[in-house]
Amino acid sequence: MIEARGITKFFSIVNDDRTADGLTAVLSVSIGIGAGKIVSILGPSGCGKSTFLEILAGLQAPTEGKVLIDGVTVLEPLPSTRREMEEYRRKYQFLSPLANGMFRDRPKHDIAMIFQDYAVFPWMTVLQNVTFALKLRGVARAERASRAMPFLKNVGLGDSLSKYPSQLSGGMRQRLALARALAVEPRIILMDEPFAAVDTITRERLQDDLLRLWNATGITIVLVTHDTDEAVYLSDEVIVFSPPPGSVRNVFPVASPRPRRRSDPEHADLKGRIEALFKYDIDHESEYSI
Amino acid sequence: MDGYGTKGWRLLLREAGYFLRNALGSIFSLEFVTVFIPLLLLWEFLPRLGVVPKALVPPLSTVAAAFWELLTERHLLTHIGHSMGKFLLGLGIAVATAIPIGILMGWNMAIRKRALPLFQLLAPVPPPAWVPITIILFGVGLPMQTFLIFIGAFYPILFNTYQAIKDTEPRYLASARVFGASELTLILHVYIWHAIGAIIMSVKTGVAMGLVMLVIAEMYGGRTGIGYLLVEAKDFFQIPVMVVCMAVLGVIGWFLIEVLKFAELKLSVWKIGR
Ligand SMILES: Nc1ncnc2c1ncn2[C@@H]1O[C@H](COP(=O)(O)OP(=O)(O)O)[C@@H](O)[C@H]1O
Ligand SMILES: [Mg+2]
Repeated sequence: MIEARGITKFFSIVNDDRTADGLTAVLSVSIGIGAGKIVSILGPSGCGKSTFLEILAGLQAPTEGKVLIDGVTVLEPLPSTRREMEEYRRKYQFLSPLANGMFRDRPKHDIAMIFQDYAVFPWMTVLQNVTFALKLRGVARAERASRAMPFLKNVGLGDSLSKYPSQLSGGMRQRLALARALAVEPRIILMDEPFAAVDTITRERLQDDLLRLWNATGITIVLVTHDTDEAVYLSDEVIVFSPPPGSVRNVFPVASPRPRRRSDPEHADLKGRIEALFKYDIDHESEYSI
Repeated sequence: MDGYGTKGWRLLLREAGYFLRNALGSIFSLEFVTVFIPLLLLWEFLPRLGVVPKALVPPLSTVAAAFWELLTERHLLTHIGHSMGKFLLGLGIAVATAIPIGILMGWNMAIRKRALPLFQLLAPVPPPAWVPITIILFGVGLPMQTFLIFIGAFYPILFNTYQAIKDTEPRYLASARVFGASELTLILHVYIWHAIGAIIMSVKTGVAMGLVMLVIAEMYGGRTGIGYLLVEAKDFFQIPVMVVCMAVLGVIGWFLIEVLKFAELKLSVWKIGR
């Protein structure tokens, strides 16, 4: 169970004319994601989806609010008063609040994340990227390669094990990131537009693979996407973010039973409603942004 | 056992072959030879034909003769050996201290805030300005020379390493952290690899500065080394010997830079995309 309570994220930024400014990326988002559910976050670009996902993953501290995973706070919010600030500084003087510890590899929560720009390590081969992730999860050296192989084969990288990411296409890199995240067999997987750079056929295959894996393991999946088809086909619930600052615009449950068909007429209706909402928001956003 | 030994040797030979091909390739390329040979000819014949004064610009053959004499009668190889020994010691100490300190400062803000200002205050002192105080503290022997080489190489390595580590792409850190990486793992598997090109580059700068300091150190003290030969030649006005010393220093510098380039090639195969 992932619970976001009143998450707000504010960035201090510097304008082009060097004046200080603020930007609210996420505004007061409260959602609950049940264990074993697939939930999509859908929204126009720049509405804080990636930021929100990183807050869920504990990679950025929220300005306000908190995220709980199975009742455990992921990261405490940033200090707001002067006294809190001093205390925070002292507490995290030597080690960043994001750190997992000094010497021992151990994730704080059983999460895997796929970043929008993949973030596979360019200095490791395809196989090493996956075995490194397994090493961080405490898998014994001898088992790592055999644990990694099925996942790499599944995404079609079985023949590219000793290639470096710079030798792969964008889509292959994305599939590597997917294989790496799945290989650690996490309980929660956060995906930031994981299928954006792959061709339609591969995308559909990967989506079905993901569903199969989900069926077999019951993991919780949070998927950021801007593809309405994908959101509706995969999810139990589609959360639509409003244009910036990102807040929850609407939540659409997808009730149709699984296994689903891509051409389900019920989906078409839902997609129509989501897209109408989008179109309305985008038309109206341009009014105030000019 | 035996089979493994031969295999090891064969691997070493193959790597040495690659190294030589890489290092010498640019010098023995057709393009460069067509420039280099005429230059050597000019060097030989301009003084001989009296276009430039022969006493001040010795022709190539005179320099070659001086080289032969130094080699056979004045222990040139021993001098080179001593210079290299000091140099590698000084550079080694610089690498062994500057890289870890640079990594720590790049990795951790608290360490950076405590250590960086000190280095920023000390670094602008030009390394040759350390000579007088070093002589008073260490005398004119090996410790003084090693220290001066160390001072020359230390700061470029330190600052470039620190900067490269600090500029590590936060995405890679975030990605490793979600999987559970400890800070030590981040340093060993993320920061260092991300910065490896810049670190090797910084050692190249360190080599250049270290060589400057080697010559200065040997000119001020000691009875051995290329810098010493150079000063001695000045005292006896032996221009060919000076030219030989300069050429030897050039070759040493070139060789060390080629070694580092080769190391870089080996360590960053992953950058060679296609
Ligand atoms: N570290 C940061 N500093 C300042 N602004 C940021 C930072 N990260 C994101 N933003 C801003 O926050 C907004 C939301 O970004 P993001 O979460 O990447 O949106 P999305 O993923 O929905 O496209 C954008 O306007 C972006 O410029
Ligand atoms: Mg994004």
